[in-house]
Amino acid sequence: MRLSVRAVFAAFVVPALLLGLVATGQPASSEIKIGAVLPLTGPFVASGQYFKQGYTMAIDEINKAGGLDVGGQKYTVSLTILDDGSDATRSRSLVEKLVTDQHVNFLLGGYDTSLVEAQEVVPDQYKIPYVEGGGAASEIFKRGYKYVFGTLASIYNMGKFTTDFISAQQAAGKLPKPLTIALVWENTDHGKDYETALVEETQKHPDLFKIVLNQPFQLNGSDFSPLLQQVKASNAQAFLSDAHLPDFITMHRQYLQLGLYHQFVSYGGRGPDQRGRQALGTGADYLVAAVWWTPALKDPASQLFTEKYMQQYHQIPDWFQALSYDTARVLFQAIREAKSLNGPAVRDVLSKLVMRNSLLPGGVIRFAPDGQIIAPYVMVQNTPGNTVRIVWPKKLPEARDPILPMPHVQ
Amino acid sequence: MFSSQNLISIGIAALLTAGLYAIMSYGLAIIYGVMKVINLSHAGFLMLGAFMTLVYFQWWHLDPVAGAFINLPVFFVAGWVVYRVLVRRVATALPIASLLLLFGLWLVIQNLAVAIWGGEDQSIITPYTYKALALFGFRIPVTRLIVFGVALAVLSVLHFALGHTFIGKALRATVQDPTAGLLVGIDTEQISAMAFGLGTAFAGFAGSLLTLLFSFNPDFGGSFQLKSFTIIVLGGLENLAGVTVGAAVLAFAESYAVLFMRASLQNVIAYALLVVALVVMPGGIGQFLQRRS
Repeated sequence: MRLSVRAVFAAFVVPALLLGLVATGQPASSEIKIGAVLPLTGPFVASGQYFKQGYTMAIDEINKAGGLDVGGQKYTVSLTILDDGSDATRSRSLVEKLVTDQHVNFLLGGYDTSLVEAQEVVPDQYKIPYVEGGGAASEIFKRGYKYVFGTLASIYNMGKFTTDFISAQQAAGKLPKPLTIALVWENTDHGKDYETALVEETQKHPDLFKIVLNQPFQLNGSDFSPLLQQVKASNAQAFLSDAHLPDFITMHRQYLQLGLYHQFVSYGGRGPDQRGRQALGTGADYLVAAVWWTPALKDPASQLFTEKYMQQYHQIPDWFQALSYDTARVLFQAIREAKSLNGPAVRDVLSKLVMRNSLLPGGVIRFAPDGQIIAPYVMVQNTPGNTVRIVWPKKLPEARDPILPMPHVQ
Repeated sequence: MFSSQNLISIGIAALLTAGLYAIMSYGLAIIYGVMKVINLSHAGFLMLGAFMTLVYFQWWHLDPVAGAFINLPVFFVAGWVVYRVLVRRVATALPIASLLLLFGLWLVIQNLAVAIWGGEDQSIITPYTYKALALFGFRIPVTRLIVFGVALAVLSVLHFALGHTFIGKALRATVQDPTAGLLVGIDTEQISAMAFGLGTAFAGFAGSLLTLLFSFNPDFGGSFQLKSFTIIVLGGLENLAGVTVGAAVLAFAESYAVLFMRASLQNVIAYALLVVALVVMPGGIGQFLQRRS
């Protein structure tokens, strides 16, 4: 009889328990599995590496503190990163692989907008929260996905923020009124967002802005000299370009080689990046950029992060590392507050979350109903000697006067 | 936009770009001309040429132009070895065999570069990187002028060598008719190895010169390879002199097209020209014009 009870237990109960584990996708150990697909090769490799560093820093901190507290139980956090080679199709399938093969509990996002757009179809399918800090186009959040949250303020807002800054400089007599603008933008949702904001502001304030050239360009282009010839011919007073890091480096190098000069030059969020400054040398001095974070912020959280990052990686962090670090921390706070590893429960917490110790300007992260963050930008200007100064908003204690019109650099 | 000043300015830029395009396409044309093999690893050698220039620059503070001349023998030997070890085995097989082999070689070179230098963008800044010459009211970037001048000089030497040396004549004879070449005693095997070496040397040389104008990473070279292929098709696949014409046509088309179409469609020009050339003038522009007259 005893033998038959054992046999029944072995035949039915053990497989049932194992099946239950497989079905729920819960890891057997007290571990939270997090997955991310990043561009660790291909054109976006530099940004992908920065995101890896930020995610790793946040996870190491949690694990060093004994793990993440979920409903009174401590969980260690593991991170699985796959490389999409900066390819959108591969990016999407690898995110799916993380969910189906690696059984990750949560997802952190990739970089850039085009790759995030490819990835974002997966989280809702599997009801797994996905928090990203690498895609900023508002189009990402217009598709009605419930499990996608973004910590980058929109590029549309970046465009508006840039025109606010310009109009303040016009009021201060540093830039002419109206300012003629040569506007070029990458042919993606990212660039389209920027262009839309600029065109809207120009239509609203014809006394302040006049766009004399409006041209899209191919993402990851190899030669921008024909386009820059048009910029030159437009005789604009300002040059605004929305470009990713590789295109920014190529375009600005050719801009300088052609001997172009404008009173105001901005490449959207590019300019202060360490990679760009190394590649362009003094040619990157005085560029103005609207960024999500900068090491020039003097608040204690930003200073502490900068110090920790420099100790670990021996270089100055850019916004990429800060945003990815904060992106992971947002997810951890949501898991903590949800007291559960259940995807829908964590998603519900994320939608209402208010994180108060963020690195971002203002120190608060919260999401709009569409999942995109509500947060301000900081306008910075590169200064000689690989330094950066905050020039806007004026209310920040670190803010200094911008050097405008831009001096000629050679 | 259509002022004479702007049109001339675009013309000057196009002419300088044509020099760059010619030098980067010559290697591909020589290899195709002699062996009828499309060298899909051309982009890999362009990229490797750029990275080797970075190494010379970082270790010995060598200017990229000097680096280009060092690359010539280095890449010649590399190309010769690649031919003897790999390409020779598939030279007489179906074209797909050499295409796949050389595509694979490109991927290997690319991944080697990632392993050695990482995937990030690299650039070389010289004292003249951002300098420009003012001539008759036009600003001409010094780097583009150097690339054009060096390309012109090297191509002139190559043309002289092809016309006045035994090896050059043997190479041209093999391009025109390999069987006849064999009959008159040309060692076509040696000539093929030499052609692959020369083609690779030109890729490495062009890669060095490109560092004067562009930043680069292990993915560098792909779009230039497409342009090079378009250029040799435009010039007439087996016509070495036609390369210069093809380079000029593409450079001028790309530069002036921006006046009429969106800059984001710039790459379409090369694709469109490639299709038109293959359909309308498979023998190249020269043969097409001859037929018309």
